[in-house]
Amino acid sequence: MSGETITRKKKKFTEEPNFTERKTYRPKDVKETGLAFIGHEISEDGKAMNQFLHYDQLYTIRHGQNSKFFIGLLDGKLWGTRCPKCGDTWVPVRTHCWNLDCNLEKTEWVEMPLTAKIHTWTIAGWSGRSSLKRLPIVLVYAVIGNSKVAIANELHGIDPWDVEFGMPLKIIFKPKEERHGIVTDFHFEPTDDWEPTPITEEKERIKQLVEPVYQWVKTLK
Amino acid sequence: MSRKVCIVGGATTPFDYGPTGFENIEGGAADCIRETREEIPEFSMRDLDLMIYSHFSVHFGHQLCSEWIVHDHLGLVGVPHYRVENGGNTGGSALYAAALAVMSGHHDVVGVVGWETMDSVSQSQGSEFIALASDIRYELLVGGIYPIYYAAMANKWMKDNNVSEEDVATIGAKNRNNAMDNPKAQWYRNEHKYITTEDVMNSRLISYPIKKYDCCLMSRGVAFTLVCSEEYAKKINPDGYVTIDGMGLSSCTIRAGDRLNFPGWTERYGKGYPEMTEFGACRNAADQAYKMAGIENPRKEIDFGEIHDAFSTSEAQIYKALYLADENNIAQFLRDESTHMHGEIPMNPGGGLMGYGHPVGATGLMSTIECFYQLSDLIPKKHLSKKTEVPDAKCGIVNSHAGTGTSISNFILRRC
Repeated sequence: MSGETITRKKKKFTEEPNFTERKTYRPKDVKETGLAFIGHEISEDGKAMNQFLHYDQLYTIRHGQNSKFFIGLLDGKLWGTRCPKCGDTWVPVRTHCWNLDCNLEKTEWVEMPLTAKIHTWTIAGWSGRSSLKRLPIVLVYAVIGNSKVAIANELHGIDPWDVEFGMPLKIIFKPKEERHGIVTDFHFEPTDDWEPTPITEEKERIKQLVEPVYQWVKTLK
Repeated sequence: MSRKVCIVGGATTPFDYGPTGFENIEGGAADCIRETREEIPEFSMRDLDLMIYSHFSVHFGHQLCSEWIVHDHLGLVGVPHYRVENGGNTGGSALYAAALAVMSGHHDVVGVVGWETMDSVSQSQGSEFIALASDIRYELLVGGIYPIYYAAMANKWMKDNNVSEEDVATIGAKNRNNAMDNPKAQWYRNEHKYITTEDVMNSRLISYPIKKYDCCLMSRGVAFTLVCSEEYAKKINPDGYVTIDGMGLSSCTIRAGDRLNFPGWTERYGKGYPEMTEFGACRNAADQAYKMAGIENPRKEIDFGEIHDAFSTSEAQIYKALYLADENNIAQFLRDESTHMHGEIPMNPGGGLMGYGHPVGATGLMSTIECFYQLSDLIPKKHLSKKTEVPDAKCGIVNSHAGTGTSISNFILRRC
């Protein structure tokens, strides 16, 4: 994410958020050439043809009413929302209460504590293209503070086989300059007083499954 | 009183990944309809009065409204058409839409064509495209792809229900082995081998406790199903038509973590349901379908099923959601091989998503077609032997499933 800052002030009749500091975030290798047929191949028997279509595009995700949550991440804060009618609190946030009796009441922002508890977990040995080099990933669904829902994020600072249900966690933010206002600006780590339990049959099984993943990741360029 | 809805025919292209020579979807759709006509030659293209197209992701083809290309190719210009998209439950939802159209009395003969072309990008990119159906703001970035979400849900479910890795691995082996009797199945056409539970256990880790052979396949494929009124069914396929006696469609949260305390589910099924472990939408859709079909004891009254085995773990979770077992006996239900061909209620005799394949928009239709074949005595003709025929089957269930259990439909099909 680099490039020059561009200043743009579009005149609008209505009062809208104005973005005066927008960088050109388009990575150098994103060409945005539009759809282009760039080549083909024909099977040996001459009967089947494949054609190659290339498409590169930078998207703008406009966060609108959810923005405070993502701006909070840049500041190292976790914002949740709370329904003033029923009192339920959520992170991930809801800008309107989903309890049907609250009739889409507008929620209020509340700052959440940087502690959580594991609801469930898994250890990924395979993932989407953009995450392959980070494998194995310990992914947990954890409940932050008094949230009514669990949020997914990575658990660092632990051997994968030591993760357990109900484990207490702390939330750690990346250094400020590395944050992008996205959920991976933070991750979970075990609390300081947490100790792994002794090795079990299941832990041995997980070790056996994870070992080839470590080896495979080393071979990735 | 609404009208009875029937299925009189259907077929798929072979499901596969990579070059096969039948890759164009409109050609595949035409071939499926031609095959359907072999059993019901009286059916004419002129009879179709509505077409519903079942297609999940534009990302795989980079062609918006590809259904228009199919529709033109079939010569159906002037016949009304629209596309249904509902994640992995696209096929089930398209069937639901077709059934509603007939039930209403507004349409008599509805064709449903479904497809997906997942081999147009690499496997890992494909996984990421599918994961665009999760909430990308919160889940995609944290390494999330569907097997990972399902693994997190299954891990807790298995602990809560005393189900072991081996117990679910039996399902991965079962469905692939069933597919070895089915020449259209991707497993038959590619790996082409019988596997054991141990092979599943030894396959590479995808996301604990899910391994490679616990996962379904990415596929290219097209399917066609012909849905109609009973009057038309009696005319076109008097001895082989099947009735949709029950159907249900329900929904749950997009993010699995949101369903710990969802107020609407607590109202329906008690506090804490569905948690992150149970498929609440599957249970709710089953309740609707069972009620409509008058089913009180599904394990006794249903003979077999074609269900959405995206993962061996989720097939096991679906058994429970469909009331085939509960927390006290689900582990034993699995250990008894109750859903194998020799068991009391065979599941996925056609191979399912793990054996037949999972070209998303075609999948629910493939399950419907396999269920139809069982109920109209076509298995010996469509499969390689009678090994995967459910003897004297009179009632089958079709299950189609999306997201992390986000949209699920169930259908009860009965022999005429």
